[in-house]
Amino acid sequence: MDALNPAFWVFVGVVAGIYGLLALALYVQFSMAGLPNFGHVAFMALAAYTMALLVIRADVALVWAGALGIAAAVALGLLLGIPSVRLRANYLAIATVAGSEMIRYLSTNLSLTGGAVGSVGMLGPTHFATYTGSWQPFIEGITAMLRRVVGGVATTDFSMFCVVWATLALLLVLFRRLEKSPWGRVMKSIREDEEAAASLGKNVDAYKLQALVLGGILGGLAGVLWALEIGVFSPDDFQPTLTFYAYLILILGGMNRIWAIPIGAVLFGVLYSGTRFLGFFPLSLVDSGERAYLRLLIVGVVLVVLMAVRPEGMFGKREELVLEK
Amino acid sequence: MVNESHMGSLLLQLIYNGLVEGAILALAGLGATLVWGIQRVANFAHGDYMTLGAYVAFLLDVTWSLNLVVAAIGAAVATAALAVGLHFVLLRPLRGRGLVALSLITVGLGLVLRNALFMVAGSQPRQYAFNQTAVIDLRFIRVAPAELWTGVAALVAVPAIAAMLAWTTLGKTMRAVADNRDLAEIAGIDTDGIGLYVWIVAGALAGLGGAMLALVQGTFDPNLGFNVLFLILTVVVLGGIGNAFGALLGGLVLGLVMEVSTWPPLFGGVPTQYQPVVGFVVLILLLMFRPQGLLGKARVL
Amino acid sequence: MTGPALVVDGIARRFGGVRAVDGASFTVQEGSITGLIGPNGAGKTTAFNIISGFLRADAGAVTFRGRRLDSLPPHRVAQAGVVRTFQAPRILTRMSVLENLMLGGVNQPGERLALAWLHGSASRREREVRAEALAVLELLRLTHLAPAYAGTLSGGQRKLLELGRALMAAPRVLLLDEPLAGVAPALADQLLDHVTMLRNHRGMTILIIEHDMEAVMSICDWVVAMDQGRVIASGTPRQIQANEQVIASYLGSAGTAPR
Repeated sequence: MDALNPAFWVFVGVVAGIYGLLALALYVQFSMAGLPNFGHVAFMALAAYTMALLVIRADVALVWAGALGIAAAVALGLLLGIPSVRLRANYLAIATVAGSEMIRYLSTNLSLTGGAVGSVGMLGPTHFATYTGSWQPFIEGITAMLRRVVGGVATTDFSMFCVVWATLALLLVLFRRLEKSPWGRVMKSIREDEEAAASLGKNVDAYKLQALVLGGILGGLAGVLWALEIGVFSPDDFQPTLTFYAYLILILGGMNRIWAIPIGAVLFGVLYSGTRFLGFFPLSLVDSGERAYLRLLIVGVVLVVLMAVRPEGMFGKREELVLEK
Repeated sequence: MVNESHMGSLLLQLIYNGLVEGAILALAGLGATLVWGIQRVANFAHGDYMTLGAYVAFLLDVTWSLNLVVAAIGAAVATAALAVGLHFVLLRPLRGRGLVALSLITVGLGLVLRNALFMVAGSQPRQYAFNQTAVIDLRFIRVAPAELWTGVAALVAVPAIAAMLAWTTLGKTMRAVADNRDLAEIAGIDTDGIGLYVWIVAGALAGLGGAMLALVQGTFDPNLGFNVLFLILTVVVLGGIGNAFGALLGGLVLGLVMEVSTWPPLFGGVPTQYQPVVGFVVLILLLMFRPQGLLGKARVL
Repeated sequence: MTGPALVVDGIARRFGGVRAVDGASFTVQEGSITGLIGPNGAGKTTAFNIISGFLRADAGAVTFRGRRLDSLPPHRVAQAGVVRTFQAPRILTRMSVLENLMLGGVNQPGERLALAWLHGSASRREREVRAEALAVLELLRLTHLAPAYAGTLSGGQRKLLELGRALMAAPRVLLLDEPLAGVAPALADQLLDHVTMLRNHRGMTILIIEHDMEAVMSICDWVVAMDQGRVIASGTPRQIQANEQVIASYLGSAGTAPR
C-alpha cells in the first residue's frame, strides 16, 4: 500500500480519533480518579456487540441501539466497579483485565454473537448480517455537505473522520471544564488521598462510581463509533492490547494533560500505521507476515522506554506525575 | 441414561485433571504472588514467562533431542535467568515509579516477549516429542502419558516448594516480606536483597509451569501463557496477595473448581469451553465477598 | 450552647489478639478544649478513628449532640460537623495550598457532577469559598504560600495547612491528632493560640490528642487520660497532674511523669 495514499491516512486518522476517545475514557478514570482500568477494550466490545445485536436480531433503530450499547458498557463498568470501589487499585486492575478477557471469550464462543466470525455471522453462518444500514444515509448526507466545502476529498471515511474528531474535540472541552470544576478538585483529592477526602466530608465511593460511569460512557461511545466505521467486526478486534494502546496514547501525550490526548492519538496513529511502511533495511529482513508482530514488539518497547525515561509523557508536568504513588 | 459408575469414574478423572491443572496454576500463581507481595509489582508478563519456559523446553526436547526432564529443568533455569536479568536492568532501577507504572512496564515486557517469540519461533502450534495418543489405564482413571508425567512433576514440585517455604530460612523470609513488607523491614530484613531470590524462584516456577502447561495442553503457540494470565491473577487474589501458601492452595482449588464444574450431575455441567468463565465468576465473587482471599487477613482500610 | 457535645460510651476494638480500645468512656463538653492523653499504645488514635468513622467499633457507642455516629462512614461523620486531622498531615501534595483549603469548603454545588459544568471556577460559590480559604490562610499567616504546591511545605507548615483545611469544613467539633508533634516551639505557640481562639471566639468544641504536657495543661479545660485501651482518669488539668494512676501509667511505659 502506497505510503502516500491519502485514503489510508484518513482511515488512520479515524482510528486514531477513536483510540483518542478511549484514551479520554482512561483519562477520566485513571488520571482524574486514580482507578486503573486495564480492561477498557471490553467496554468497547460490549457496546459494539450490543448495538449490532439489537439492530440485527431485534430490529431496534440504530440510534437507540447505539444508546443501549453505551448503556451496556456503563452497566459493565458498574458491575466491575461496585465491588472494587471499596478495595485498593490492584483489585480493580485485575477485575478489569479478567472482565475484558471474559467478554472477548464469550463473544467468541456464543453463537448469538456470530462466534469467531463476528458480526457478519450474527444471523447464522449463511446469512450476511448488517447493522450499518441506517448509518449509511446519515454519513452520506454529511459527505454531500462536506463535498460542497472541500470538494472531492470528501469520502465517507473523511466524513467519519470529521464526525469522530468533532466529537472528541467537544468532549475534550466538556471534560476539561469538568476537571477544573470543584468536582474535578474532589476527584483529584481522591486520587491523591482517599482518607483525607473522606475526612472532609466527600463521599469517596460515589465519586469513584461516577468516574467509572463516565469512563464507561466514553468507552462505549468509542466502541459504537468503531463498529460503525469498520462495519464488520469480530472478537479479535477487541484484544486486550487495545487498552494498552490507549494507555500508550495517554503516556505519549502526558498523563496529566487532557489536551495532550489528541497529540498522543496522532502520534500513536503514525507510530502504529507507519510501521507498516518500514520496508527499508534492516527491517526488510523481516517478512511482511511477521511485520505485525514486529509492530507490537515495537509498541511494547516504546511502552517500556517511555515509562522508564519520561513517565510524565511529552507534555506532562513532572511535579504532577500521576504514576508515582 | 446416567451410568452411575461412569459418572463416578468421570468425576475421578476430572478431579485428577483439576489437580494437575491446579498445580500448574498454583506454581505460576505462587511466583506471581511472591513478586507482587515483595516487589509490589503486578507482573502482567508472568504468562509470557511461562510461554518462554515452554519454548525453551521445546528447544531442548525437540530440537536438541534431550530428555524431557532435562528440558523442563532447562526451561526453569532459562526463565529464572531472564527474570533476574529483567529485574536488575529494568524493574529494580525503576522501582520508585510506582505500582501502576511498573505494571505498565510489565505489560510492555510481555508484549515484547510474546511477539519476539512469534517472530523467532513462528505462530504454528508446537508439541513436545511425546506420544500424544497413547492412553495409560490406571484402574480408576485413564491418562495420557503427558498428563501422567505432569502429574508426577506436580506431585514433586508442589510439596518441594511448600517445604522450602515452610522450613528454610530463605523461604520463611520470603513469606514474611511478601506478606507485610513494611513490617519485615522494621524487623531488619533486607527486603531489597530478597528481591533477587524472589525473581529466581518466580522465574523458575513460571518456566517449569509453562513447560507443564504445554505438555498437558498437547499443542501450544506463543499465546500459551498469555491465555492463562487472568487465571494466574485469579489465583493470586484467591490466595491473598502476597500469601504464598494461599497461592498454592488457591491454584489447586481453582483448577479443581474449573474441572469439576463440567461434571454433568452438577446442573448439567458447564460446557468445557466455558471453564474460564467459571474462573471469572470465582474472581468476581471473591472480590465482592472476600477480597482478602482464602487465607489472607482482612485489611483495615 | 452547653452540655455534652460528644459522648463516647464503652467503645471497644481489637486487632487480632490486641485490644486497642477496651471499654473506653468519656464526655467532651460543648465549647471546651478537652485533652486526650496517655502513653503510646493507650488507644487514643484508635479512639479518634472510631469517633470519626474510619474504624468500626466492636462495641460501644459514640453520640454527637444526641445523634449516633458510630455506624456512619467517615464522610458522613465529617458532614455532621465532626472533623478530624491526622497525626501525619495528609495534605494533598500535588495540589496547591489554596486548592487544599478550598477542597475543605462545604456546600459546594460545583462538587456535584450534574452541576459541575455550570459551577466552574467563576461561579459565585467558588468565589466565596476562595475568599474563605484566603481568610484562613491569613489567619494562619500563610498567605504567601497560596499558589505553592503543598508538597513543598515544611512539616510545621503542613500541620498548619491541615488545621486550616479542617477549619474550612465548618466543624462543630474539631478532633486534633497530635497537632504539635514535630513542630518548632514558636509555631507550636502559634497553633495553640489559634486553638484557644477557636474556642473563645467561635465557641468550637475541641478534642486534642497531645504528648506535650505543658501545652495540654495550659490550654485544656478538661483532660481524659487513657492507658491500655481504657480511661483511667478524667478531670481538670491540675487534678490529672496529681493523679497517681496517671503518673504510674506514664512511668510504666515512657519513664517520665507528666510535668
